[in-house]
Amino acid sequence: MNPTTPNRISTGIPGLDDILEGGLVPGRSYLVRGGPGTGKTTLGLHFLTAGAVNGEKALYITLEETESNIRRNAEVRGFDLKGIQFLDLSPVSEFFAEVQTYDIFSPAEVEREPLTQKIVERVTALKPQRVFLDPMTQFRYLASDVYQYRRQVLSFLRFLTEQGATVLFSSESSVEAPDDDLQFMSDSVIELHADEQGRGITIRKLRGSDFRHGRHSLRLTATGVEVYPRLLPDEQVRTFVAEPISSGAPELDELLYGGLERGTVTFITGPSGVGKTTLGLQFMKEAAGRGERSVVYTFEEEVDIMLHRCESINIPARTMVERGTLHLMKVEPLRWSPDEFAQLVRRQVEIEKARMVMIDSVAGYQLAVRGENLAGRLHTLCKYLQNRGVVVLLIAEVSDVVGDFRVTDANISYLADNIIFLRYLEINGELRKAIGVLKKRLSDFEKTLREFEITRYGIKVGKPLTELRGILKGAPEWIRPKE
Amino acid sequence: MTAQRFLLTVGTNKRNLELLAEFLGKEGYLTLAVTSMEEFDHVLDKSQEISLALVDISGFDSNIWERCDHLREKDIPLLVISPKHSAAIQQESIGRGARGVLVKPLAVRELIGLVNTLLEGSE
Repeated sequence: MNPTTPNRISTGIPGLDDILEGGLVPGRSYLVRGGPGTGKTTLGLHFLTAGAVNGEKALYITLEETESNIRRNAEVRGFDLKGIQFLDLSPVSEFFAEVQTYDIFSPAEVEREPLTQKIVERVTALKPQRVFLDPMTQFRYLASDVYQYRRQVLSFLRFLTEQGATVLFSSESSVEAPDDDLQFMSDSVIELHADEQGRGITIRKLRGSDFRHGRHSLRLTATGVEVYPRLLPDEQVRTFVAEPISSGAPELDELLYGGLERGTVTFITGPSGVGKTTLGLQFMKEAAGRGERSVVYTFEEEVDIMLHRCESINIPARTMVERGTLHLMKVEPLRWSPDEFAQLVRRQVEIEKARMVMIDSVAGYQLAVRGENLAGRLHTLCKYLQNRGVVVLLIAEVSDVVGDFRVTDANISYLADNIIFLRYLEINGELRKAIGVLKKRLSDFEKTLREFEITRYGIKVGKPLTELRGILKGAPEWIRPKE
Repeated sequence: MTAQRFLLTVGTNKRNLELLAEFLGKEGYLTLAVTSMEEFDHVLDKSQEISLALVDISGFDSNIWERCDHLREKDIPLLVISPKHSAAIQQESIGRGARGVLVKPLAVRELIGLVNTLLEGSE
């Protein structure tokens, strides 16, 4: 957990504190809005318990759910509600049973006064530092008109904050009863989402403080809410030496004029089965020899199969995993949101000190992005890794096995510092493979292709194929007939 | 504040009558609540000092109008409380001697004001 910055108080959710640049500014009011089941109440519980553990007085004012219900649900999630005071203003069941309904006066006339009186009494007596009010929208029905409602909410919030409280209040918004007015009235707006993009959280406004814009991922777990802030590359710039690192295969290094530099993004592109993943693992094998850690995120292949495949081509992946120089992780693209995935990568880089990251493949990552802007997401992730001096390998499959050359199917090749391509060739009626470099930002590179082969001894890269032409078309011809 | 007066409140919803009693009570009025036609007749037969009657017609059938006639015969001022804006109800009420028709939900302040004025006028 990040330590809370001075003059800020923790929300109880580390990721949310990050987004809020350190936490909530005390003595202000925060609107938490969202549809049913988006986690408003859970967020409120985090907020109150975070205060209670520090000995602060925390008050939960409920206008809808009963105290016993809240306590039960909170206990299931492991919240310790000791030290949290409740003011239960939810309707009692007798309301229904004993014909407590009336229509002669509006509810505003009948119920507002006793309700506000109870709140005022309790708040004045307790002087809580944290108040969670769930939901504020209930007051709408207790106001005779919009003007009265606005005045009541504003004066109520002022009353609470003047008593020294930091206030979180929830609102339910629907098309019939929008809560736009509440958004104008509160100092800050925290919005929770649950839609086809998964769960998310957005700060709409935060008076008196900067915050991280955009939508961040949120997960409701068995123990509450977890927030995964969206990666921002610019904030973590680190200096590093862009030295080339060797692949361990001399001919491959020759092709790359030394190897791949640190802090660069390399696309390894080619059709299915040509050896893209294996090529990436070759770099990792060499890195492991230097004692550096590499991470592979595989979106398609199972880890066991990948390990087995490595062993059969002289890459000691199992040993590397045991020594901690390699980490293979199968990523279920529909399980993780891009922010959560970014968090995984961040942990590997910042805590486990990984120096090389391979994403296998871009198409798999695209699934995780779920219709969001792929280029933007991938750009952010790559920029972050670059700033950290990590060697990034992106595996991009092209759908055509032979035929005219393309770098990737998705329009993201602009991200690449280096592009290595693999392709099938037909030479003398035989299916062969070739490797070439299309782009290298930090150094020159060999412009010819070389033959590429995967054998049980590992990757074999041949001499430059200088006598061929039409290689990019997939059906090369000899420039001069063989003697 | 005027001396304590009896106000007759008529209606089928108990909670409504309780609320009327509560708000009028704060103003110093005593109320007598009646929830059925039979009780209404019973109260009318007794020669009780009733200064004003508030009749919430919702839930009653058209026989309620006859009781309004009785009130007029006894010179008891009458306010009709109606569940909706309706020309028919308004005509009927005024025709039966009502001083006014109030449509629910009532505003407490307005009701109190009206009651005060009516009672001062009848003094």
